[in-house]
Amino acid sequence: MSFTKISDDILRTLRAPGPLWYASVLLAAGAASTGLAAFLHQTQTGLGVAGYEHPIFWGIYITDFVFWVGIAHSGTLISAVLYLFRARWRTAVARAAEAMTVFAIATAGLFPIIHIGRPWLFYWLIPYPNERQLWVNFNSPLIWDVFAISTYLTVSAMFLYLGLMPDIAVVRDHVKDWRRPIYKLLAFGWLGTNRQWRHYLALYGFFAALATPLVVSVHSVVSWDFAMSILPGWHSTIFAPYFVAGAIFSGLAMVITLLVPMRRIFRLERYITVHHFENLSKLMLMTSLIVGYAYLTEFFIAWYSGSTFEQGTFLDRTFGQYRGYSWTMLTCNVLIPLLLFVKAIRTNLAMLFVISIFVNIGMWLERYVIIVTSLSHDFDPANWANVYQPTWVEAAITVGSFGMFFTLFLLFVKNFPAISITEMKETLASAPPESGPRAAAESG
Amino acid sequence: MKQDNSSLVEVVERRTFLKMLGSAGPAVAISACAPVAPERIIPFVVPPEDVIPGVATWYASVCGECPAGCGILVRTREGRAVKVEGNPEHPVNRGGLCIRGQASLQGLYNPDRIEGPRRRRVTNEAAGQSVLDAVPWDTARQDFVDRLQALRDAGRGDRVAVITPPLTGTLGTLVSLWTEALGGARWIRYEPFAYEAIREANERVFGRAEVPHYDFSRADLLVSFGADFLETFGSPVGYARDHAGQRRVRGGDRARFVQIEPRLSLTGASADVWHAVPPETEGLIAAAMVQTIVSEGRAQDVPEELVPRIGQLVAAASPAAVAETTGVSADVIRQLARDFSDPARGPGRTLAVGGGVGVSGATATATQSAIALLNYVAGNLDATVDFGAASTVDAASFADMQTLAGEMRAGAIELAVIYDVNPVFTMPGAADFQGALAQVPFVVNLSSLPDETTALADLLLPAHHALESWGDSNPRHGVHGLMQPTMQPVFDTRHVGDLLIEVGRALGGDMASNFPRGGFYRFLRDAWEARQPLPEPQPGAEDVSAAPDFEAYWADALRRGGTFVPVEPAAAAIAATIFDQDLLGSLTPAGRQRPFTLITYPSLHFFDGRSANRPWLQEIPEPMLKTTWGTGIEMTPDTAGAIGAEEGQMVSVESDHGQVDASVILNPHLAEGVVAIAIGQGHTNFGRYATDRGVNPIALLSPVPETDAGGVRWTGTGVALTPRELARPIPRLQRTFDQDGRDLAQSVSLAALAAGTVHPEEPHFSLYPDHDHPDHRWGMAIDLDSCNGCNACVAACYAENNTPVMGADSMRRGRTMAWLRIERFEEPAGGGDGPDNRFLPMLCQHCDHAPCESVCPVFATYHTEEGLNAQVYNRCVGTRYCSNNCPYKVRRFNWFTPEFAAPLHLQLNPDVTGRSAGVMEKCSFCVQRIQDGKETARDEDRPMRDGDVSPACAQSCPAQAIVFGDMNDPGSRVTQLGDDARAYHALGVFNTRPAVTYLKKVTQDG
Repeated sequence: MSFTKISDDILRTLRAPGPLWYASVLLAAGAASTGLAAFLHQTQTGLGVAGYEHPIFWGIYITDFVFWVGIAHSGTLISAVLYLFRARWRTAVARAAEAMTVFAIATAGLFPIIHIGRPWLFYWLIPYPNERQLWVNFNSPLIWDVFAISTYLTVSAMFLYLGLMPDIAVVRDHVKDWRRPIYKLLAFGWLGTNRQWRHYLALYGFFAALATPLVVSVHSVVSWDFAMSILPGWHSTIFAPYFVAGAIFSGLAMVITLLVPMRRIFRLERYITVHHFENLSKLMLMTSLIVGYAYLTEFFIAWYSGSTFEQGTFLDRTFGQYRGYSWTMLTCNVLIPLLLFVKAIRTNLAMLFVISIFVNIGMWLERYVIIVTSLSHDFDPANWANVYQPTWVEAAITVGSFGMFFTLFLLFVKNFPAISITEMKETLASAPPESGPRAAAESG
Repeated sequence: MKQDNSSLVEVVERRTFLKMLGSAGPAVAISACAPVAPERIIPFVVPPEDVIPGVATWYASVCGECPAGCGILVRTREGRAVKVEGNPEHPVNRGGLCIRGQASLQGLYNPDRIEGPRRRRVTNEAAGQSVLDAVPWDTARQDFVDRLQALRDAGRGDRVAVITPPLTGTLGTLVSLWTEALGGARWIRYEPFAYEAIREANERVFGRAEVPHYDFSRADLLVSFGADFLETFGSPVGYARDHAGQRRVRGGDRARFVQIEPRLSLTGASADVWHAVPPETEGLIAAAMVQTIVSEGRAQDVPEELVPRIGQLVAAASPAAVAETTGVSADVIRQLARDFSDPARGPGRTLAVGGGVGVSGATATATQSAIALLNYVAGNLDATVDFGAASTVDAASFADMQTLAGEMRAGAIELAVIYDVNPVFTMPGAADFQGALAQVPFVVNLSSLPDETTALADLLLPAHHALESWGDSNPRHGVHGLMQPTMQPVFDTRHVGDLLIEVGRALGGDMASNFPRGGFYRFLRDAWEARQPLPEPQPGAEDVSAAPDFEAYWADALRRGGTFVPVEPAAAAIAATIFDQDLLGSLTPAGRQRPFTLITYPSLHFFDGRSANRPWLQEIPEPMLKTTWGTGIEMTPDTAGAIGAEEGQMVSVESDHGQVDASVILNPHLAEGVVAIAIGQGHTNFGRYATDRGVNPIALLSPVPETDAGGVRWTGTGVALTPRELARPIPRLQRTFDQDGRDLAQSVSLAALAAGTVHPEEPHFSLYPDHDHPDHRWGMAIDLDSCNGCNACVAACYAENNTPVMGADSMRRGRTMAWLRIERFEEPAGGGDGPDNRFLPMLCQHCDHAPCESVCPVFATYHTEEGLNAQVYNRCVGTRYCSNNCPYKVRRFNWFTPEFAAPLHLQLNPDVTGRSAGVMEKCSFCVQRIQDGKETARDEDRPMRDGDVSPACAQSCPAQAIVFGDMNDPGSRVTQLGDDARAYHALGVFNTRPAVTYLKKVTQDG
């Protein structure tokens, strides 16, 4: 293992793509376009083309929103928090996780716009001095959302770009074709001088410190969309930690879902090792336990509160017409991750991949269950709704959001180093000469 | 001038080209600027002086939706009728109006109305195909005249049949004159619900073939035998008002109400005690009550010598025997009879009413006779049962219609003139009126809406809607309502009176002299002038000069909506012949051949089906079952289980006379073995809103009239049910009637209330500062004890606030746009066999601490300083968070851009903003009316008074259950009701501090 080898191995992922990559991008972009078409149809015809049912006024779109915000969480956790804690195993997975964060939060940010009745007026939620002489209501958690999401998108995008900068310089030095000027521009004149490195590391540390509180705050704010309301099933003080744990849980699952195929396709086995996956899965197991504990707490409080409304909501959630969703959610999020206690399972990438898919499904369902069941069974029994039946529009837009996310991710891994070259080299340099990055990572 | 076009194309000289360019350019530009025809926003070329754009003009008139003849005030804006309200001065309804009256506007503006005269043209004789062509009025009328002329000249004028509703006013006089002038043409006054048995029974018992006026306002105990007097029976708006007034708690006590019927009706839902009895057995209970009263010597105001003879009449109906048949225990019957004839109360303080349709099986006349007798022995005659103010509606019986149909089949009718009735739909299918009508060589139809009967017409001469017409109505003695046109006709129609007069004059000869030149308006005025003597000028009339001046009198009548004089109770006495006949011989129903018994009942929303094409009435959920856009067959879960069907499944319903497929609607409140279908739906040809919707049970009924009175046997048809492998559920807007312990609709027992142990809810403590309401704080009080769930307020709200109708598919997703809905809950411990029903009108509570306001990110909803929770449509971006956070879920979201099929859009209230797709809306407490009230007070230079403002719902409520006012005014009724012992707030535990106060329902103990 040498510096050259690292550069070559990682830069190899940037070479002219094969048919598999093209097919994947085509598929993902096709899904994204379908979603866009569905959104245009919905905007023109009216939100009624979605399956909303009185009084279930929030549905799949808000579920998707919270799901994608959750996905966006582990990126920052891995890159910033683990950076500050000097957990060196993060090096191999940090870049992919950061990219995932940016694309997930970008996808998430679209959903509130898709969801609102008059999406062309979404900018009315942004407070800026305007000729309308109207202001926003800072009491509304939705305004807090605007700040949380936009801040998180800005910071995570800057953080990703900052980490990429030295690597872009490496790419610039290796690329000879028409892309060179673009990389040159993006490299921002990076030469790798000591002075640049010194400033760079200070800045990177600063950003890591800035991003760390966001891991906690963003999803707390998102959870307050629900917790600040008076609706039974939403109105709960544990929502912030519960949602943050859930977000990290789902984010880690998504990282695994992405990394397992990526590692295989780009033959990065020497860089992203089983050890990395095991660490990720341990973290996932821990957050799964927190989420499971939160579920139990919710049920306990519903019983302990003595409130008819709380109890009715949770009984309905568990045994009512949505029980299939609830039990699937509990199985995916609480029971299946328990398998990770077994070392043989958490070091088996195929098994881990399958579990991560289950967790993704379970966490999507968790948001669906919280949003839809609480709304469908609220205070006044005369309002209780039939089973929410999503339409093709909602399905197309949801699939489209995955399409958009994967399109962006695929474009990213083909154009930028998916593993940090400089950090890999740093790891190699700081390790004993005979050991490669594998040994360095395992000792981290 | 002939021109060579080719030269233009081929050789265009420079000058020509420039000329063309010069003229074509601006032409193109201008046409691009005005691609659509100019729209006249105000339909006046030269505005009348007394019409100010933006200021409403009100016209007093009479509602034409049913024979009750309620007085209405029609609000017009810029020449268009936009709202119908009850006329407070009219004695029939005194300000209230029912749901069908509210929806009369949608009859006026119905997009399916026949737009002008049509004449049938045969397109393919062999295949029997023909079309209705539009023809000019002159041609169509001439055609009509020619046909009549030919018949009259041939001396066959008596072979003309005229079928109209039971016209009570001057139009009736005209038709009568017209048919006579033709030489004895027949005039049939057809009304599907003609209450034949009530007339016949009163004829037998009292010698008066009339439907008396029932005075609910004096009945301390009301026993109703299947009378749906709060829905369709008689004059439901007036009855509801009287009944609600009488039911108010006074001095710790109040009037009691017992309903006996096989299916829990909306009326029965308000009863203290509801007994489920097998169909057609109601009369047995009445007879047993008579027997108890007579045998226990409690008969009141009955000559001594008659008592034993009455006893003989009802000898067979002992309470014990009746208990066996009806399932109501003998003790209950005896106790009810004792209460009914309580000597401490004195005579004439109770009332027994038998339903016109509810009691209409084979035993109908006997049952009504027993009920008449029951009223007699309790001394109710001339008191609560008043023949002095009896209905003047004189309708033909079903048997008469059958006779007519027979004559049609026999070829004895050569020309039929049909106006505003739909016998093809409303007569039992097996009576085959359709086939009979097909035998009539020429059918002229004057109805303005296309229906099953107009489809068979050879000539359509569409008449004006009631709101476009002059006319009058005389629904009962002493009440002469005057009807005036409220706007220009929407379509190319004619007044039916004008048409008849024109035709009569065109027929020439002696006929012409009968009809005045000035058309029906002159005829009407002359008739009113000729009605001697002129009633005395009424108190408060502006002109109180000694000599009654007809002009002043006419103007006053127009302003008031008619002339109303009190009538003396008629001296009715028991007929001597009563003891000679076997009055109650046929009280016991015959055995059944089929496993289930079908009862059909008039629909609150559609009456006999005539209102089914009003989209509001289709969309607003039926109050008992909450069904929309359709009807089905109601059966208990037990019955459904027995035949293996479930809710929404299609079931084949077969009687001896017909077969229909109907969707199952589970309704636990039916007597054993009974299935029920509402009348009014299942149209095959009634416009876009009603065609092919629900099921028509009339197709199953027997064509044989009831023996004694000749009415349709609406109840008691035996049917067999076969489930089909097909599900077509009717959308229902409420899934459960169980409150689940949430106490939204609360009640209090009469005993607790009388004991004074009930206190209004104490306000909760709040951390937040209260809103400041410097001038007004608008509030509402809704008395759940008075509310009978009749939906009138809901329709009034639709009309006032431009609420769009969404359609059946949207209802499946619960996407109604109603700002006000009636919730119905059932608590288990009701009296008798029924649940304790509670109706809860639910609308925006205008909370002082409104959860919706704090979560809106853009301040689209906020609290005004008058205590309103305002919704700014322009500002709303549609996050829908407000609805999620509303505990009452009264906010509605515009899923699509609302559509109002032309010309329904002409009904839109110009004072209320239209909403677009993507915004939230909700009850505004009729803020436009508040504004109007404030402006009126300001114009009159006075402070606002209690009662200045009345939202559409409160205005319309027949039971006066809704009170609106300023809660800052300590003297206002709403403030006082807020301190009532029964006052509470819905979901008060959340401390939202609503501006709507509910008053608990009062339940009778034991």
